[in-house]
Amino acid sequence: MTPKPLPSLIAVIDIGTSKTASLVGQMIGGQARMLSFSERRTEGVVKGVVTDLEKLHACVHEVVHDVERGSGRGVSEVYLSLGGPAAEGERVKGLVMVPARDGRVTLKDLQDAVASARRQEPPAGRTTILYMRQPTMLDGKPVASPVGMTGKRLEVSFWRVTMEEALVRLRVGMVNGMSIRVRDFILASHAAACAVAQDADKHGGVLVVDMGAGTTDWILYFKDHILCAGSLPVGGEHLTNDLSVALRVSRETAEDLKCRFGSAVHREADVNQTIWKDGDRGLGDQQFNRGTITRVLSLRYQETLDLVRKDALRQLEGIFPGHAVRLDQHMLPSGVILTGGSANLADACEAVQQTMGLTARVGMPVFDNDSLRKPEYAGVVGLMRAAITDAPPAARRPRGLWEQLKALFRL
Amino acid sequence: MERAPSILLLGLGGAGCSMVARLSAALPAEVGALFLDTDERSLPADARTIQLGRQQTRGMGTGGETGAGLAAAESEEVALRRALAGAPVVVIVTGLGGGTGSGAGPFVAGLAADSGATVLCFATMPFSHEGERRQREADQAATALAARCHGFVAVHNDLLLQQVPADSALPATFAAADAWVGGAIRGLAAAFAPGALVPADPAAIRSILSTPGSPTLCAFGAGEGPRAAMTAARAAVECPLAHGPGAVTKVASIFVHVSGGPELTSTDAFDAVAMVRQKFGGNTATVLCARTDPGMAGRAEVSVLGASLPEPKPAKARKGGKGAKDDQSQTVFPFATDDAVRRGFFGGAPLTIVDGQDIDVPTYIRRAVRLPAGP
Repeated sequence: MTPKPLPSLIAVIDIGTSKTASLVGQMIGGQARMLSFSERRTEGVVKGVVTDLEKLHACVHEVVHDVERGSGRGVSEVYLSLGGPAAEGERVKGLVMVPARDGRVTLKDLQDAVASARRQEPPAGRTTILYMRQPTMLDGKPVASPVGMTGKRLEVSFWRVTMEEALVRLRVGMVNGMSIRVRDFILASHAAACAVAQDADKHGGVLVVDMGAGTTDWILYFKDHILCAGSLPVGGEHLTNDLSVALRVSRETAEDLKCRFGSAVHREADVNQTIWKDGDRGLGDQQFNRGTITRVLSLRYQETLDLVRKDALRQLEGIFPGHAVRLDQHMLPSGVILTGGSANLADACEAVQQTMGLTARVGMPVFDNDSLRKPEYAGVVGLMRAAITDAPPAARRPRGLWEQLKALFRL
Repeated sequence: MERAPSILLLGLGGAGCSMVARLSAALPAEVGALFLDTDERSLPADARTIQLGRQQTRGMGTGGETGAGLAAAESEEVALRRALAGAPVVVIVTGLGGGTGSGAGPFVAGLAADSGATVLCFATMPFSHEGERRQREADQAATALAARCHGFVAVHNDLLLQQVPADSALPATFAAADAWVGGAIRGLAAAFAPGALVPADPAAIRSILSTPGSPTLCAFGAGEGPRAAMTAARAAVECPLAHGPGAVTKVASIFVHVSGGPELTSTDAFDAVAMVRQKFGGNTATVLCARTDPGMAGRAEVSVLGASLPEPKPAKARKGGKGAKDDQSQTVFPFATDDAVRRGFFGGAPLTIVDGQDIDVPTYIRRAVRLPAGP
């Protein structure tokens, strides 16, 4: 639990199914400032699973090269996002009986409890990629900091994310191949939530759904902590694919039609609305029924949301066995925050309301750079935020004169 | 009684009886209805009925027990054999997942096939809300039934829910199923009725459905207004029955029946047939039947029934009762209804199964939702 010293330069890489984005920022006076940003079309990833390492490697390499050039600094270590259906989260608990006669909890007791939680081995073939702090309980009551308080039974719990070892090694190896160290992993859905959800949301209860191109990651916060998280191998590409199958058009055309005429809700008025593919009515222009487009997209979109709902309920029932768990306004006062590229689909919030019965909003990442205030950048912006908050910066001054000068000019 | 009806329509079990009762009012004279159930309350008073299992269930239903349904049917074997004799085509309408339909269905179908009749079965599959056990039993019964019938068409109740607007009344939901099954039966009956403009040979239709266990295609569409037959054909092509889970969309032999009002033009009728053929195939044999009916002014109906041989025997692809010899040199290519088309550009990617479904296949295909027609 010792805070890691944070270097003034922070680099994050978010490898998604459709795009790989990297952001380099600098901590100046406790505030992060963006130095450079780069994104590329990802190649070699299908449904969040790496299928062609060489292509992906080339793509990540280019992104890193771009941010290094943009920031004028070499990147030596990065935070990497990990997510997708391959990452699985679970709760691990550590327990100590407080040994002191007066029942006062010491720092050592807390450390023992943490150690006992961490001693639990992940399933064979999987490796732990990160631990996230969950509420600490003293005699069954949640406490913020148990040290110095009195009690008998100290229980700490963590949200542990595990992933297949080979998959982690693949990514680490790829980054190491560029002489860059992986400083830490951050859960992709947690990162997205850091960008779009306020602390007040997380306190009351909120479900953040990050619908990307290949996967839909969701994470549920309740009383400031992660309650459960999951991922589905369905995303925006499925919307495009459905459309291209239904209309028998190419992937590019389907993508274009999805963005221009798509909707997450099918309305009767859409039927018999004729739309043109190019709009110039020239050679090769085609007309389509808008009802077909919205019907196909709304079915897929609402199905995906329904799968998220079912997955969340299934996990919640595992956490609170024997209780009738319901995803409602009572449990999630902040409702659903929808983000990721597929949150751009028109009427997305309405679809959430219809399928989950919860209020919804599209989460725009909070960031000082206008061009990144779009749902598709929630992942990378949040990664930066999570990198800063999860490992608070140590007070450290640039050492040499040269470093100081450099820092001066950058201001 | 002058002569036995050409088509014997069997309502089996509670669901089957109620559907046949709804249908029988609108059926032509060539169709005779017979009701079979264990529960005497679901048997209508003024029709031919056989109450199954009087000893076993004492006039009650089977309570969802498949074994009881089978035992009940076996106890009435003599009466059933007598009732089934003589009809060239037997159409069984039943609901699977309960006791009588699932238990007695395969037995009754076997008896009918033994009697020499061509057996076509329409079976409704339970709503998915009815639980897994019912679903599982229905699936087992469907497999058993399909092996004994010459033609087997599953009507998924889940499909019905998607066919009607959310605020429609409950009876309207089942009306869609009635329309499909009724339309198919009317089409079938029409082939046996005299007076068709383009008459079909009933034997040819029987030959289409000659192989037990072959995948069966069934579609029905109705249309009105100018070029009503084309509208009906388009509706038939989009008929959810032909796009439901497990349904086939390309078959070797089809029977197409077009009926319309006196103003039905030949162009319209044959365009409709061409459209149906383009969608469903029928390259080996297409049996046509067209008729006009003064009662159908301004309306038209198209019903399609088709079958091919089961997949693994491509050498015998030549069907039909014409005694044609198999052409060994001809290769039969599989139809492009499979993954390659359905999964689009995820075609090469590994399957992703969530809740027992391959979620890379578009949702509208998996749920068999009918898309609005093109512009």
